[in-house]
Amino acid sequence: MRATRRMRAIDEPTPLGKAVSYVLLGIWTIVVLFPLYWVSITAFKVPIDVNDGPFYLPFIDFQPALDAWQYLFGTMLADTLRPYLNTVIVAICSSVIAVAIGTMAAYALVRLTYRPRVGAILGFVLCVILAILGVALVGVPWPVALACGLALFALLLYGLGRRFRRALGNDDIAFWMVSQRILPPVTVVVPVYVVFQHLGLLDTRTSLVITYVAVNIPIVVWLMRDFLMGIPLELEESAMIDGASRYRIFWSIVLPLSTPGLAATFILVLIMAWNEYLLALFLSSANAQTLPILIAAQNATRGPQWWSMSVLIIVMIVPVVLLAIALERFISRGLLIGAVKG
Amino acid sequence: MAQDKPFEGVTVNIVTFTGPQIAEPLQRRAPDFEKLTGAKVQVITVPFSDLYNKLLTDFATGTNSYDAAVFAPQWMGDFIEPGYLEVLTDRVKGDAALKWDDIAPFFRDFSASYKGDVYTIPLDGDFQMAYYRTDLLKEAGLEPPKTWDDYLAIAEHFNGKDLNGDGKADYGSCIAKKRNAQSYWFITSIAGNFLQTQGTSEGAFFDTATMTPLIDNDGFRKALQIYVDSTKYGPPDEINLDVGDTRGLFTSGRCALTLDWGDIGTLAIDPKTSKVQDKVGAVIIPGTKEVVDRATGKLVACDATTCPNAIDGVNHAPFAAFGGWSGAINAAKDAKTKDAAYAFLSYMSAPEQANEDVTIGITGFNPYRTSQFENQDLWIKAGMSEAAAKSYLGAIEASLNSPNMVLDLRVPQNQRYQQIVLDTAIHRTLAGETKPDEAIQEIVTGWDEITEELGKDDQLTAYKASLGVTK
Amino acid sequence: MPQPAEPAGGGRPPAVYGERLAPAVFILPAVLVVLAMSIFPLIVSLYLSLSRFKLAKGGFTVDFIGTLNFQKLLVGSQQFHLLGKLVPLSPVAWAWVALVALAALWPAISGLRRGAGWGFVVGRLVIATGLVAIALLFGATASEGGQFGSLGVTLIYVFGGVTVQYLIGLGLAFLCAQKLAGRRLFRVVFFIPMMITPVGIAYTFRMLTDTTKGPFAPFWQLAGLGDFAWAATAWGARIAVMIGDAWQWIPFMFIVLLASLEAQPVDEVEAAMVDGASRWQVFRYLTFPAILPVSVTLVLIRMIEAFKIVDLPNVLTNGGPGIASESLTLHAFMAWRALDLGGSAAIAYILLFVVTFFCVSFATLTRRAGVAA
Repeated sequence: MRATRRMRAIDEPTPLGKAVSYVLLGIWTIVVLFPLYWVSITAFKVPIDVNDGPFYLPFIDFQPALDAWQYLFGTMLADTLRPYLNTVIVAICSSVIAVAIGTMAAYALVRLTYRPRVGAILGFVLCVILAILGVALVGVPWPVALACGLALFALLLYGLGRRFRRALGNDDIAFWMVSQRILPPVTVVVPVYVVFQHLGLLDTRTSLVITYVAVNIPIVVWLMRDFLMGIPLELEESAMIDGASRYRIFWSIVLPLSTPGLAATFILVLIMAWNEYLLALFLSSANAQTLPILIAAQNATRGPQWWSMSVLIIVMIVPVVLLAIALERFISRGLLIGAVKG
Repeated sequence: MAQDKPFEGVTVNIVTFTGPQIAEPLQRRAPDFEKLTGAKVQVITVPFSDLYNKLLTDFATGTNSYDAAVFAPQWMGDFIEPGYLEVLTDRVKGDAALKWDDIAPFFRDFSASYKGDVYTIPLDGDFQMAYYRTDLLKEAGLEPPKTWDDYLAIAEHFNGKDLNGDGKADYGSCIAKKRNAQSYWFITSIAGNFLQTQGTSEGAFFDTATMTPLIDNDGFRKALQIYVDSTKYGPPDEINLDVGDTRGLFTSGRCALTLDWGDIGTLAIDPKTSKVQDKVGAVIIPGTKEVVDRATGKLVACDATTCPNAIDGVNHAPFAAFGGWSGAINAAKDAKTKDAAYAFLSYMSAPEQANEDVTIGITGFNPYRTSQFENQDLWIKAGMSEAAAKSYLGAIEASLNSPNMVLDLRVPQNQRYQQIVLDTAIHRTLAGETKPDEAIQEIVTGWDEITEELGKDDQLTAYKASLGVTK
Repeated sequence: MPQPAEPAGGGRPPAVYGERLAPAVFILPAVLVVLAMSIFPLIVSLYLSLSRFKLAKGGFTVDFIGTLNFQKLLVGSQQFHLLGKLVPLSPVAWAWVALVALAALWPAISGLRRGAGWGFVVGRLVIATGLVAIALLFGATASEGGQFGSLGVTLIYVFGGVTVQYLIGLGLAFLCAQKLAGRRLFRVVFFIPMMITPVGIAYTFRMLTDTTKGPFAPFWQLAGLGDFAWAATAWGARIAVMIGDAWQWIPFMFIVLLASLEAQPVDEVEAAMVDGASRWQVFRYLTFPAILPVSVTLVLIRMIEAFKIVDLPNVLTNGGPGIASESLTLHAFMAWRALDLGGSAAIAYILLFVVTFFCVSFATLTRRAGVAA
């Protein structure tokens, strides 16, 4: 029962508390913004201004110059625009695909029941190992090894599969998928390179898109699974009674309801694909290079070209920041739900 | 018209690291070359630290997306043994425009060759020199350093004084010592003077008979000590500075001395990068009056037998660190592409183009042809004062003409020897994590291990081949 | 009028058949992609870690050498690089190890007393063994004369870093959860660091921490620290890396914790305060338990990513001074760059074991906190 006079809302801080809060928040704002400010002004410096000691204020301490910008967007325009375009295309495509496939899988893990048999899984792994050993040690051509491996697996599945009853559940599948994040990229770089080389997909955007989709699906499944759990079952049940197929339900009911979660997941995955360095470095050589590689490349034998690097960093951040500002609300809500259920 | 454009329709994919250095002249001259020959040259760039890896992976897995590469001849050992590079001996001999004999003997006979055959076209001459502030030394009445003791004495003299008039204390000597960057060549620039006296073929890394690392001896020990001592006269975070940082420091006037490749000469004259225009002098790498007797591992004084190449009783061994960016051709490509690639590399190296490019700082090309340092006009035209040109070119001439230049290590997987084992041990010593003696043991053990792993006989053969030793 | 034809093959109409396939259609694309890009490389990497990669005429050879790579790293010439310089433990170190052993054995012992199943107890014992081993390693490397190897350094980055990031993120979240004007602006601004590519952040911090031409250089001079080079001391380098890492990832903690704080029902808090509870009691009994599940998951996610830290130590110090700031991924990366693929794969597998151990342990031990991990 509230008093009639205006009470300070329960979670509104005291004036002293407010002052302290603002000070602390202000400090952190400076901590966040100062490095960005420094990068921004360095983008407008000539080498001597950088090497001769810190200059803080444009026009007062040093004369801003467009040298670095001219170099990157004038002289080297083609070589700057190409990575930029690649980053945009690869990030958007891989994010869209990852969110699509991952959401489908997340939905399936929430609504449908799977019981993959342990025996089947072990058998599959065994067949993969045999195929690899065949290629590596005996020199069997890889399509042959692949076909043999699959055939062997099918045989095992129908033959011995029945013997081993022990099965896993949805949660195990989910855990397996999510645990893929534990894998350090440096572990998989060489085999992935070899695979794409055999497929003739090296230095193409396609290889990057495929790789990023694979790397980011775990995140999508993790987040979307819990978001989808929050959608009331009744809606879907009544639709099913009316005769709608799974696909219809997914497309017309579930997806529209989970737009916030989709937006949040999309932004997160986009950021990760936008900023990824190691895999892009390894899988691209000329045509498919992305912006992070161009940034690292500014560290030439003669030392880092701080000015060009700063220009590239700014040019890289701006689109993502704008997008994030626009979708900020979705992100925090989406992340939370994902985190609560683990 | 077809005869005028022999390579019409041919594309040459040439890879190097992201510039502007090295890539810039290639990109700038590609259109001219296309006008002349019809061949389209596409310059692909990758980050420097990954060039070695990408090249090797591309060749080893048979991807072959690169037709030619401008890379470090030091890496040749890994590329030639498996047969990735095209032999260029005959082409070079029959190429008049290239003026092969104008190229300094070291780069011709050692850098570009392996087991007697030519594999690369030099585009750049990499070796290290010492640079000093002419104004400061003149004021103090000091001579440019001839030995390492001189170097340290000069560094000590100027350390802590204000050397560029901004009121802040500056440094006596700035040497790039950052780990996993380019610092691991500087130790050899110092040590080589103690270890190699009889000419390039003697080598400065391993014993040519037994493949024993030339590390556990008094010469290397002394060199390591000098290297550690120089840190006292440098910036406080010197062990985390790489070449870009020390260059920036020197050109903004904050160091009295520095060790570097040839870039400082051209960087110093550009007002956008330098505050020390016309105050920079260069000198051949400081040497030593005591050298190592390989039989005993002890130091002996320099005389006519022990130091046949001494200058004024001081043994100098200029270190051609890294080797000098050179162009090589992928042997797995078709004949037409290889011809076009060769024509482009030859074009880039020909005096008409090269002599202009080496005077421009941004190209990253340093002199490697006799005609480049004999003719001072080009340099004066580029903005060097006569005194500066004389000093700079004189130092280059002395280094290039030295029969005792040290060839960089070129055995297969040399990166593991230098970058993994040597660099780590040296840096740990600089950081105080190990004592110099422990570091030396670490290097010897590490190097021996790699040699054993790759096959001692194979490595010894490769080492001798790279030095041009045919016995 | 012709009858609608029976579907080919008789039996079920297509719609129902599609419905039967729905489970497969929904999950297979994801499973296949992940399988192809993870199982296969994982197995190949395992094979690489047990072999030696050598370039040869026409390509390369991969020779099986058994566990030699691992031996070299764990007990051989590269032991100083991975595990560090091991010295006999000091008495203080032994005391710490004893403490850790007691704390680690507690879940197993209490489980036994409660009569839990042997699977439970064995699991807890395994976790305890691992933790004691790590404590021994730290003891042996942190004692006088010892030095950390890349394993120890990585653990420092992970545990030190995540703790600091969590605490600061929580603090910021509390501040922003209050009714303050302009907090939406703060939210947006605080989120930005997370969006910059790690390589870019690494170079930015390299610029910032430069003691001669960085923006803080004059302040160092004023404070008399002009001659102090953070990059030349082991802990200075590590802290610099952790500062950069914190700057980038605190937004992650902040955003999630803030959302969870805001999701707290206000009525409960109001009711408690009307009943006379102090702010501290509200925090302890209402807020903290509510955000605990979120925190656990958050820390777990962040921990997994933190183990993979590579860009910051690579750019800031290249792993220096010596190897003092080199993380496991950086160690593997450097080996890979020098074409020691077998060694690189071996280090990466050790990292995989370590991360899996910690994540599973963490998830197991915190299950009681009410999270269905």
